[in-house]
Amino acid sequence: MLPPSSRSLAPVALFAALLAVFGLIPKIDLPLGVPITLQTLGVMLAGCMLGPKRGLQSLLLFLAAVAVGLPLLSGGRGGLGVFFAPSSGYLLGWPLGALVTGLVMAALPGGTPRRAAASALVASAAGGLLVVHVCGVIGLVRIAGLSWSQAVTGTLVFVPGDLVKCAVCALVVHAVARGLPDWQFGGRATQ
Amino acid sequence: MQSLYCEKSTWLHAWPAGLKLLILAAAGSCLFLTDRPAVLLAAAAFSAGGFASLGQAAASARRLALQLLVVASLVAGFHAFMGQAMLGLASAARLVAMALLGVSLTLTTRHTELLAVFEQVLSPLSRAGVRVDRLSLQLALMMRFTEHFFLQWKRLDDAHRVRVGRPGGWRLLAPLTIQMLVAARRVADTLHVRLRD
Repeated sequence: MLPPSSRSLAPVALFAALLAVFGLIPKIDLPLGVPITLQTLGVMLAGCMLGPKRGLQSLLLFLAAVAVGLPLLSGGRGGLGVFFAPSSGYLLGWPLGALVTGLVMAALPGGTPRRAAASALVASAAGGLLVVHVCGVIGLVRIAGLSWSQAVTGTLVFVPGDLVKCAVCALVVHAVARGLPDWQFGGRATQ
Repeated sequence: MQSLYCEKSTWLHAWPAGLKLLILAAAGSCLFLTDRPAVLLAAAAFSAGGFASLGQAAASARRLALQLLVVASLVAGFHAFMGQAMLGLASAARLVAMALLGVSLTLTTRHTELLAVFEQVLSPLSRAGVRVDRLSLQLALMMRFTEHFFLQWKRLDDAHRVRVGRPGGWRLLAPLTIQMLVAARRVADTLHVRLRD
């Protein structure tokens, strides 16, 4: 769960903090009991910027902070109660989403800022969108008691907003690739 | 940033954090073994009673409890709309029961005590080279960075307002990320020198 190297401590904590900051931006509640928040953008950015291992660690650290009672989720939510809400599938899917985003980002080409941005778009769609939504659907079926078709239909409401977040993630990656050319996206550097 | 923990002492404050977590884990498993609305409603009533008995501590989490009731009502209403009222009742009751147990635990247990339990539970991972003892340090770093994010955002926003005459909004996300990554690099170098691994 925790990084073996002291060099990883700061970036892992940084992206957990970014998720906390995104949590302070107001959420929009939907009838399924699952809110639309900016925090999935943090999941995408953690995977793209840190790579699979440290992205996963960052999200686990954030969830540990939520579990011990810090009100870091959007709307000031926190504590162990949130892990039993209908949205808990999405919440528990975040670490997996960051892991997959990082894995895809590391596998795709990133030699130039433009390529890194294109890779980030695909990686964030695969991890931050697809994986998180699959976990979210499982949560809706298990906790809210919805049927699979109801849960899938319900989660589709979030997809357009999440596609916008994928595009924002790609733009941020492009800007970082230009501003910090030696940054190791997904575990390797752009040129 | 304040924790949800309530300083006002209640009967549940005296229980060890490990025991409370164990009860929560056991309740979580048991409540998912049944779909009978009567059993789940009884569990929800029991959790609500326990939560209400916390008195002022429960009052401090009134907003959280209200949010929970709204979500449970939405879930039940959605099921009723789809013609599955009993299933909706069972799902909403299970949700209320579990979430109120979780909220009660959070209100009455210091985060340092929970961290100690987590570190103890995760301690076998140290054999695999995982530094479990650094969880507290990482949480502290995360809180510090959260504060730093706000300061940096405010500085960038002020500069943008002076130049353009309106707030920066989304335009600030990229420069903010770059500045924070540079700051994180400096902190990482310092920690590497101090911790030597």
